[in-house]
Parts: sequence; structure tokens; C-alpha cells
Amino acid sequence: MIEFRQVSKTYPGSDNPVVNDLSFEVLEGEICVLVGPSGCGKTTTMRMVNRLIEITEGQILIDGEPNSDLSSTQLRRKIGYAIQQIGLFPHRTIADNIGTVPNLLGWDKGRIKDRVNELLGLVGLSPDEYRDRYPAELSGGQQQRVGVARALAADPPIMLMDEPFGAVDPITRERLQDEFLRIQEDIKKTIVFVTHDIDEAIKMGDKIAILKQGGVLAQYDTPENILSRPDSEFVSSFVGADRVLKRLSLTRVAEMDLEPANGGTGRLPHISEGVTVKDALSELIGSGHTRAVVEQEGEDRLLTFEAIEALTGGASSGGEISA
Amino acid sequence: MSNPVLLLLQDVLEEPQLIDWEWIRENFTEDIVPAFQGHIFLSFVSVAIALVIALPIGVISARYRKVYPPVTAVTGVLYSIPSLALFAILISIPGVKIGPSPVIIALVAYSLLILIRNTVAGIDSVPPETIDAARGMGLTNRQILFRVELPLALPIIVAGVRIATVTIIGIATIGAYINGGGLGALIFDGINRQFPTMIITGAVLATALAITADLLLLGLERYLRPWARRT
Repeated sequence: MIEFRQVSKTYPGSDNPVVNDLSFEVLEGEICVLVGPSGCGKTTTMRMVNRLIEITEGQILIDGEPNSDLSSTQLRRKIGYAIQQIGLFPHRTIADNIGTVPNLLGWDKGRIKDRVNELLGLVGLSPDEYRDRYPAELSGGQQQRVGVARALAADPPIMLMDEPFGAVDPITRERLQDEFLRIQEDIKKTIVFVTHDIDEAIKMGDKIAILKQGGVLAQYDTPENILSRPDSEFVSSFVGADRVLKRLSLTRVAEMDLEPANGGTGRLPHISEGVTVKDALSELIGSGHTRAVVEQEGEDRLLTFEAIEALTGGASSGGEISA
Repeated sequence: MSNPVLLLLQDVLEEPQLIDWEWIRENFTEDIVPAFQGHIFLSFVSVAIALVIALPIGVISARYRKVYPPVTAVTGVLYSIPSLALFAILISIPGVKIGPSPVIIALVAYSLLILIRNTVAGIDSVPPETIDAARGMGLTNRQILFRVELPLALPIIVAGVRIATVTIIGIATIGAYINGGGLGALIFDGINRQFPTMIITGAVLATALAITADLLLLGLERYLRPWARRT
């Protein structure tokens, strides 16, 4: 658990703080996404957790202890660190790169080797094929997988990730996000995740902290609440005019409560229950029909505009859009 | 016509026999081999000493940027002094005797600029995100220097050693002027005795030594960069 208590950062010689009186808690096993426009202090906020940047005022508590209790190097070895530019050591093999922190912690060679193989498997790279390669021999996506594996190496309870999937093409990026969410279901790390991309924040976050210029916290809540109840003009414009559609992307058709079809479905389009409601809505509109058939629990059910509307809270959010 | 070089030129033009193989055979073990060994000794001892001085200065200059301009100014001035003048200045210092020591001092002085510059360039070439990742994972400053920065800088440092070595092997021949030994002794003797065989032997061996050293160090440079070799 990470708790920010009235944390501020002001650089010497400047009157304006880059992070201003920040207070919020990241719960154990949750992904907290820091998001905001450039210059909002999101990366600075993240880097204060492992003291790559020192706090000017306030405290960051990790499991109740101030993060200034340990020496900075000891602290950092307990916190996984993955960044957009990856920063793999070009002169070390993939295995050596991943083994960096275990090596610093004095693990024996056999244990490091086993761990490296396990992690390569976890991020979908065959250990036999990739262990002894150098980073330059890998594609960008593969390097980012290695970067994440390296951050996980010593099984730290906390991870800091600064746009860890930022340096790859959108398709690879989406795949890496999905894979990471799948991994996170098992490993349940407490994660501070920085991005400038609101869609990534909505997808990855259990909680989202939206920061605005000057490092001020605009809103801290679940993606669902941020989309349905943005508490300021800044937040609603930052999440975008399509926030109702974004909310639909949080739910899959399988999770919807749909009416049975009771026959007469012959000419209606069929939609898979695995897609998000947003994609289903798009398919529905594209088909030219007002209803579609979804197979749920072996039974044909009807997906209608009304059912989708009910999901967004109906009239209330509709009113906000027209406002 | 008192200049020995001109006298020599006259001789050669009158009797164009450049290589006296007989002389080479007779003096091979007694003169040529010791001169060659002496030259290797002068060059490599100088570069080694220079490296020991240049590495820490280079690391400090890369870290504390303010130090770098004065360092390059001083070593730059040393580098630009004509070698013959530097030898003369050195032996005029009380306590410095003619022989190999002032030659080595001068050769070290000539190597410093190149070696320090390449050390700084090598450390500068390390990607900042690699350092950031290292620091974020909990490496100490010392570990970052020895495990990340220096290994990554090493090929560029060795490239500097190559340039310094080739330069030094050339300049070392002039050291014979103050009795430093080496292949320069053959060349100076040859000029004084108006005997081209000695000059050519000295020059050819010095060139061969420089090329060999260059190739060996190039091999070392490649060897130290296994991560770049395969791509």
C-alpha cells in the first residue's frame, strides 16, 4: 500500500511547485494510473515513490513506513521499475538484464537462472531462444517485455511503470496491455502506472488519478466514476466528449443482463459475447438493425439499444452530453 | 654543405644502393632487435602510464562538467608543443637526465588529450535511459560507473588508445635525439653516418609496429563489443 500525504515538489530557484499538495492512497494489489497533460507532474509523482526525485514537503508511506526510512538504493531494489525508453543494458544479455536486481540482492546463480526462465515464459518469450541474446537483437515489443520482466525479477510488491508500453506500435501496445493485465491477475502487484493516454488509463487502471498543470490532483476515482461523474470541467474535457462510449468499453457483452430472444431471430445479426459493449454498439449500428443476437450461457438473447442505454445510467448521462 | 641530410642525399644520388642486406644481417641481433624492443618498451609504457592518469581524469571530467574545459586546455597545450622542443625543455629541467625517462614523460603528455577526450566521449555515449533504469533498480553510483558506464565506454576508450599508440610510436623515434633509445637511434645514426640502410630499417620497423599495434587494438575494440558484433 502506498500513501501520498500532502506531497509537494518544488525545484530550487522556482516558486511554482511541479507537484502540489498531493494526497491519495494506492491500495494493495491495485493499479493506480497517473494521467494528465504533459507538465502535470505525473512522472515526477511516480519518481518520488522510489526517491529518484526527493520530496520537498510531505511524505510517501509504503506499508505505513515513510519511504525515507531506507537508503535510496535499498528502497529501489524493493520496487520494480519499468520505463518507456526501457533502458536495457546493451552490453548485457537478456538473462543478465533480467537478473540485475536478484544479482544485487545476492541470490545464488541457480535461483537467478530459474527466475529468469520463469519470467521469460511469463512475458511470452522462449527462454532457450532469448536468454543469451543481446537487447539490440530484439524487436521493440520484445524489449518492452524484457523491461517488464526485469522490473518483476525480484518479485517486488510494488511496481512503478512509466509508459511501459509507449514505445511500440498500437497493435503491439494493445497486446502488451492485455498480457500485462492477465499477468497482474495472478501477481497482484501494487502498481503506480504513468501514461498521457486516457484510453490506456481507463483500460489499465483500477483507480485513475487525473493531474492538471502544476501537479494538482483533479480527481481520483475508479475509471467508471471518472467517466460517469467527472467532477470538473477540466476532467470532463480531458476524458473527452466520447466518455459515454469509453464507459461502454469498460464492460463486455458477456457481463450484460439481457432478455431471452424467444425465437424470431432469423434475420438479426449475431454478436460475440467476448467483445466490449462499445464494439458491440458499433457493430449494431453498422448492421442497420436495432437489435442483435448474443449467445449467453448457451441461450440466444437480445442485445438492444435500450439494454445498452441502461448500462450508462440512461437519461442522467444523456442529459450531461447535450449540456 | 654541412647539413648531414643533404650530404646523405648527395651520396644516395651518386650511388643508389638503398638497402645493404649485408649490414642488416651482421647487425640484426646486436643493433636492430634491441632498438625494436626499446621502441616497443617506450611506446607501450608511455601509453600505459597515460591511461592510468587519463581514465580517472576522464571519469571526473564526465561527472563534473566544470573540470572538463580546463583539463582539455592544459592537455591541449601539451599536445601542441613541438616534440623536439618538448624534449629539449624536459632535459633542461634540473634532475631530469637524458635517456628514456624524459622521453616517456613527453610521450605520456602527448597521449593525455586523446585518452581523456575519448574517455569522456565514451561515458557520454551511454544512453541516459540506461543510467536511469540502473539507478531506478537500485544500483549505487559506483556500480553504475563500473558495471554500466565504463563497460559501455570501453570500446571508445580503446579507440582512443589506438590513436594514441600510433601517434606515440611515431613521435618516440624523435626520442633518440635525447638518447631515449628505440628505432629513432637507427634513424639518427643513419643520418649522421650517411647510411640509408639504417634509416630505412628504422622507418620500416616503426611503421610496421604502428600498423600491427593498430590492428591488434582494433581487434580488442571489436572483442569488447560483443553486443554489436552480432547485429
